[in-house]
Parts: sequence; C-alpha cells; structure tokens
Amino acid sequence: MTLSAASRLRAVERKLLYWVSAYLLIGAGTLYLWKPLLPALVVLAGALIAMIGFWILHLFWCRFNFAADPFLLPLVAFFSSTSLIFLYRLNPAYAERQFVWLMTGLFALWVVTRYFLHYRLLAEYKYIYALAGIIGLLLPIFFGIEQGGAKSWLDLGFFQVQPSEFVKILLVLFLAAFLAENRLALAEGTQRIWGITLPAPQEWGPMLIMWGISLLLLIFQKDLGAALIYFTTFLAMVYASTARVAYVCLGGALFLAGAAAAYFLFEHVRLRIGIWLDPWQQAEAAGYQVVQSLFALTAGGITGTGLGAGMPQFIPAVHTDFIFAAIAEELGLAGSLGLIMIYMLFVYRGFLIALAAKDDFACLLAAGFTALMGLQTFIIIAGVIKLLPLTGITLPFLSYGGSSLVANFIILGFLLNISHEVQITSGRS
Amino acid sequence: MKANVRRLSYMVLGAFVILCLYIGYVIVFMGPTLATDPHNRRLAAYEASIHRGTIFDRRGEILAVSKEGRRVYPLGEDAAHVIGFVSQRYGRTGLEAAYDRYLLAMNGNDKIKMNINRLLGRPLLGNNVIVSLDSRLQQLAMQLLGDRKGAVAVLDPRNGEILALVSKPSYDPNIIEQPAGRSSGGKVVTVYDLLQNDKEAPLLNRATQGAYPPGSTFKLITAAGALTTDPGVSRRIFNCQGSLIIDGFRLTDTAAHGRVDFFQALAVSCNSTFARLGLEMGAERFYQTARAFGLTLNPWTDVLNEVAYRPGTLTHPEKMNKPQLGSSAIGQGEVLVNPLQMALVAAAIANEGVIMHPHLLIRVQDPEGRVILQSSPRPWLTAIKPEVARIIKEAMVEAVNSGTGKEAIIPGITVAGKTGSAQNPRGKTHAWFVGFAPAEKPRVAVAVIVENGGAGGIVAAPIAREIMRAVLTPASGME
Repeated sequence: MTLSAASRLRAVERKLLYWVSAYLLIGAGTLYLWKPLLPALVVLAGALIAMIGFWILHLFWCRFNFAADPFLLPLVAFFSSTSLIFLYRLNPAYAERQFVWLMTGLFALWVVTRYFLHYRLLAEYKYIYALAGIIGLLLPIFFGIEQGGAKSWLDLGFFQVQPSEFVKILLVLFLAAFLAENRLALAEGTQRIWGITLPAPQEWGPMLIMWGISLLLLIFQKDLGAALIYFTTFLAMVYASTARVAYVCLGGALFLAGAAAAYFLFEHVRLRIGIWLDPWQQAEAAGYQVVQSLFALTAGGITGTGLGAGMPQFIPAVHTDFIFAAIAEELGLAGSLGLIMIYMLFVYRGFLIALAAKDDFACLLAAGFTALMGLQTFIIIAGVIKLLPLTGITLPFLSYGGSSLVANFIILGFLLNISHEVQITSGRS
Repeated sequence: MKANVRRLSYMVLGAFVILCLYIGYVIVFMGPTLATDPHNRRLAAYEASIHRGTIFDRRGEILAVSKEGRRVYPLGEDAAHVIGFVSQRYGRTGLEAAYDRYLLAMNGNDKIKMNINRLLGRPLLGNNVIVSLDSRLQQLAMQLLGDRKGAVAVLDPRNGEILALVSKPSYDPNIIEQPAGRSSGGKVVTVYDLLQNDKEAPLLNRATQGAYPPGSTFKLITAAGALTTDPGVSRRIFNCQGSLIIDGFRLTDTAAHGRVDFFQALAVSCNSTFARLGLEMGAERFYQTARAFGLTLNPWTDVLNEVAYRPGTLTHPEKMNKPQLGSSAIGQGEVLVNPLQMALVAAAIANEGVIMHPHLLIRVQDPEGRVILQSSPRPWLTAIKPEVARIIKEAMVEAVNSGTGKEAIIPGITVAGKTGSAQNPRGKTHAWFVGFAPAEKPRVAVAVIVENGGAGGIVAAPIAREIMRAVLTPASGME
C-alpha cells in the first residue's frame, strides 16, 4: 500500500518537474540569446546542473519510497529556477554564487529527508534549541559584520553566515515542542486572577523569555525584518495552539508598544517609517530605493518588458530584498501575480500537511514553518510595493542569500518529512 | 486545534490576496503617473540608448542631427525657435519636442521593431523627419531682418506648408548648456540661464507667439467682412476728410484722401473709410469675420502640436463699444495677432478663401528610407467666399502697384500685399507687410513684422519682396 502510494506521489512530482525543467531551460536559453558571449554558456551549464540536482533528489526519493507531498519540490524548483534566471540577468556573479548555495541547499534537503525522518525525536531537546538560538543571535552582536545597516552576519572566511536565518528554524522547533506540551494549560488557564483564568508562570514563562530575548537581540542587530518575522510567527503559532484571541490582542498590543518605543528610541526605525509614509519627499536620498522600486514595479505594465529588457538595475540591492520589483518589471503584473499565486500554493500545501498531521507537535511544526514562509514572503513583497514599511529580508527561495536559501531548504525538508509520516501511517491504519 | 490552523491559513492566504489587489492598484492606477515622474530615469535611459533621428528640410538639408552623443543644429540661430532643442537640463522645445516619438521611434509599430533590434544586438536608430522648412529661405529672412527685432512667416497657400518661421532676436541652440559666467553667489550660469532672464526675450518665438497690433494689415479682414455683408461695397465711393469722429472719439488719417473708391481706399490705407465699414457691419459681424480667418483659434489643438502658438485676441462683440470697433477695424486698440496668423490671412485671400491647415511635417522615414508617415494637405477654415477673395486680391495688387506697398514690386511678377504701421506703446510704429505672389496663381504667402521699424511700406515691404522673389525666381534655386 505504502509502496504504491509513494510511487503514485512521485509520479505526480515527476510530471511537474518536467514542466519546471522546461521553464528553467527556456529562461536560460533566453538569457543565452540575450548575451550571446562565450561565458554565457555558463548559464546553460548552470541551469542544466541545477535541474539535474532536483532530478537526482527526486530519483533518490523514488528509490526509498519517500511518500512526501509531491507538489512542494516542483514548487521550490520553480522558485529556484526563477531565482537563477533573474540573478543571472541582474548580475551573473550573484547567480554563480547562488548556484553554489542552491547545491548546498539541495544537499541539506537530502540530509534532512534521509536522516531526520524521525523528526519527532527533536521535540525532546527544546531547551537546547532555545539556548542555541540565543547564542546564535548573540554572536553577530560581538563578532558580526554590518551589511545594509544590519549587524547580523558572521564572517567565516570564504562566506558569510546570517545566524538569524537558522535561528528561525530553532524558534519554530522550540515553540512547536513547547506549545504542544503546554497548550492545554495555556488555552484553559490553571489559575484565576480577578476572575480571569490564566496559566501558571511556568507554563508560559520560558516561552515568553525566549521570545523576548530573541526580539531584543534582533533589535540590537538592527535587523527589523527578522524581528518582525519572529514576532508574527510567534503570534501565529500561539494562536494556532490556543485559539485565544486575547493572546493575539496582547501580542498585538505588545507589538504596537514595542514599535512605538523603537520609533522614539532608534533613528533608523524613524527613518524607515518616514520613508514609508512619504518616500517622495526624499526621493533622491533615503527614499531612493523604495521610489525606484515603485518605478520598476510599474514600468512593466500588465505583460512586462520581457526578460532582459527592463531597467531594474536602478534599484540598489535589487538582487536581494528587491528582486520582486525586478521580476514585476520584466514579467509584468501577470508575472508577478503568477509568482504570488505559486507562493500561495506553497502555503496552501504547507497548511494541508499541518491539517493532516497526526499529533499536536507535528501539526504545530508544519503550521509554524508554513506560517513563517508565508509571512516572510508577505512582509518583503509588501515592503517592496510600499504597502508596509520596508524591512530588509529575503524573498524565500528567490532573493540572493546563502543562509536564507539553505535554511529554507531545511524547512522544506521538515515539511516533507511530516507529510511522509502522514502518508505511511494512514497507509498502515 | 485543527480549526485554529485552518483559520490561520485563511488569514495568511487572505494577506496574499490583499497583496495581489494592491499590486494591481499600483501597476494599473499609479503606473502612468510614475512613468513620467522626473525621478524615473527609465525614459532618459531609453532615449540615451537610441540614436535620435535627423530632421531634414524640404530639400534635404540637415536641420538637426545627433553626432557623437551631441545634438547639432547646423543652422544655429537661423532656425532656433522653430526647430527648438533637446537638453537633459532644459527639456525640449519646438519640433524636437513635437516629433519626439518619431525621432525616438516610440510609436506602436516602431516599438516591436526596436525590441527585435534590441534582442539581436543591432544599433537602435530613430526615424528621420522631413519638414517643409527651406533652410535657405530661413537664412535669407534672418539676414533681411538684420539687427532689428521682428519676425517673418512664409507659407505655401496651396497646401499650408510652412516654408520659413523666423524670429529675432534669436540664440544658438548648440551652446545653451555651456557655462557663460558666474552669478554673484558663485553659481555657474549657463547660456540658457542668461537667455531666460534676457529682457529682449530671445527664447520667444515671435513668429507664432508674438502679440502685436496688426495695424492696417487688419483692414483685409474688415474688407472681407464688409464685402461679405454687401458685395456692392466694391462699387462704393467714400469721402475721406482726414479724420472720423465716433462718439466723441477722434480717429485720424495720415492724410485727407478725398473721394476714393474701395480699391483706392485699401491701396492708400484709408483709416476713416475702414473704420466706417467696421461700424457699418457691427461688432458681431466683425468678430465673426475675424474668427472665420482663425483669429482666436489655434490650428494645432487637435493634432501634433508642432509650434507653440498664441492665438490672436479681440474684444468680445458684446463688450465692444463703437470707438473700440472703429479702431479695431483698422487694426488698433484691443486686437492682437501673431505674424503666422497674418500670413494665414494672406493665404486665405490667395487661395480663394480657403485656409489650408498650416503644418511643417512632410513625412517620416525609417532609417532605411521607407516612408512611415506622409502628411497630406487638408483645409482648415473657409474664411470667405471666392468672389470676395478675388475683390480683395485685386485691391491688394493695386496697393502694391500704386499704393503704400510699392516697395514690394517684383518686375515680371504680380504681387498682392497690404502694408501696416501699427501704433504701439513702445515708440515708433511696428512695420508690417502681408502679401502673396504671383497674384494670378499664388505660390507663396508671407507676413513680415519689424518691431518699431516705422512705416510698413518702407521697412517691411522690401523684406517681403526679397523673400517672395527668392521663392518664385528659379535663378535663386528656390522651388
């Protein structure tokens, strides 16, 4: 039963991978024609090798009867293809490095699906995650280097690592383990104070401390984007596990208070908010990036200028935070809406896995990871289109950035493992 | 707990829907405004990637060309106003502005071709534009004006093609961005900055944007109105006593012309006769006649805006009292016109009452020489009936042969014309001449004004004569 289930699922995956392969090769072919120089052969080779990577992983899963969700890998292959195409178009040097990170990410995905199939064991070590997470966030404050205004990178010689990207995995692991254990107590409350039932301090204390510390650290790193993601993911998971709107309201109030405090305390927060409210006043100075992003966004109209025909290079840091604006310029409203819909499919599959999960930990883990990915996507796109203040974070799987890419592949691995477990247990029962 | 997760998923997916709606709003509704925002470098970058097309005159002489990243104007100040300039700092004017989309190949069909060329790595070339101007005529008119301020407008009455538009003082469009000194604050001042602050207004295209009293040249319109109302006017005899009193307002003549017929009255430019004709037809008829000649209209409102045009002004008939009507009938008082307008009045009489739409564009060619766009002559207004036009033409021929316009006589060619010496608050009268030739089959209509030049018959008529001679005499190589 499980055997046929796995092969059926992998057959679906194979069909989808054909389409994605064609998509990547067409993109790479267009770029090859666009700049028909000898080094441009690199783009064809890179695309081919990247696609082979995805196929090897797929064949490996076929071999081991991996019964995971068949949609997630093709979706991520689609994101990675778009990423390679656009990074090559923007700056081939970034595409080459991203290619290396993509290979690393695929390896990480293989490791997770091969050796962490019994992810449930991970629930036992939640305080170790908390500690590791705090250390991970502390390191850059003392030894880190600053990039784009945020001091959140560690320099490891050949490459730089952004610990907050990995700590977000630990955060979700910790919260899932902790909330699965204490969610009833948190939801019902064990004590009555002034007529309101509240949980005992030992039931919520560790969680709040972990969250508070991580937030403070991020503020000291000036990494507003990561802070916002941690915070919203935290709220999402607390809501999912307790269904107490009061917590969400409390969290929202805390957030507003924190935002207000940050606004008055930190110059860079004031600046960001000011730019968001009116970027035109300082269109040639602090607001330049957002203003140029809006120009790029609208330059393509409905159908876009076509790959390579736009001028997204006017946006500073277009290859990381602003890659969405470049895609919108060259693929137009149609292309950007299409991309958002593919992200929605990813989120949809993620939540389906959470809903099918067998126990609270698995459900919370899948919901947490999915919410994390979804919120991160929402926050950065909203910033690029000036719906929300801009915070420097990556667009998952698309922006240039090694730590982010590898961390996202690890998250993908966990989602796949959870769905695999659902399949094989339902097969047995 | 599953219910919570489901609700959470609705929230996250709902956030994405908001995102989609907002992106749609930004691209569809904010897009057009953002595309032309001065901070948006896309348009400038796009232009910089295209080799801007060349503007040629009617005989193939280059008027504007891009060479080594610079825009060169071989005629310099001789055609500065009509051709205009392109400048990163000071924008674009004249034909350079009007033909932007041809010169940069930005029309619908061009866009596809440009994208194909871009994909294939070919150089991107704009289209070339051929205009009706004649650079030799342009230079001649500048020479004839000399150091005097003024303007000349020349066109072909048969099809509305503008042959020359000249305005003095002028400037050299090749050097407007060059530094010309420093201000008291130490800031670099460019040639353009100086031009902009010059009291003589060298940037103003007097030929189409001037606002001059037309003086006696406006009697052509009064005559047209009177003849339309009563064709018998051409057989009337008038008695000029050297002045006319209208409601206590005294309107004087240069001399007492005595008993004159209609033709003599126009030839000697008798003020009292034409003031009387104006009063007889009434303010409403007078205003409608001026309007029929296009006085308050802009020929470029509905199509390609080739030149910055200031339509003439005339007091509305309901607000016009009798002394005003009398002085407007002889081109004084509240009536103001530009020189091209007066050339169009001459063209109307030359072309049996029909004013052809004035234009400069002849055709647009792609870099390979294929014709993309060809302009065709079309009527703009019907000012008067052909028989009225013929009577006025006869009177204008008499004005040149035996009246105030003798200086415009060209041996062997019948010239029709009307002089004007317009009083103005700034000193000597403006010297005017409007006319056309040959009277039997007109091929050129012209209007000349020399600011504060004195008598039109002495100062403006010779300029008009030389221009018409240049157009009509094969020896000069024109036409």
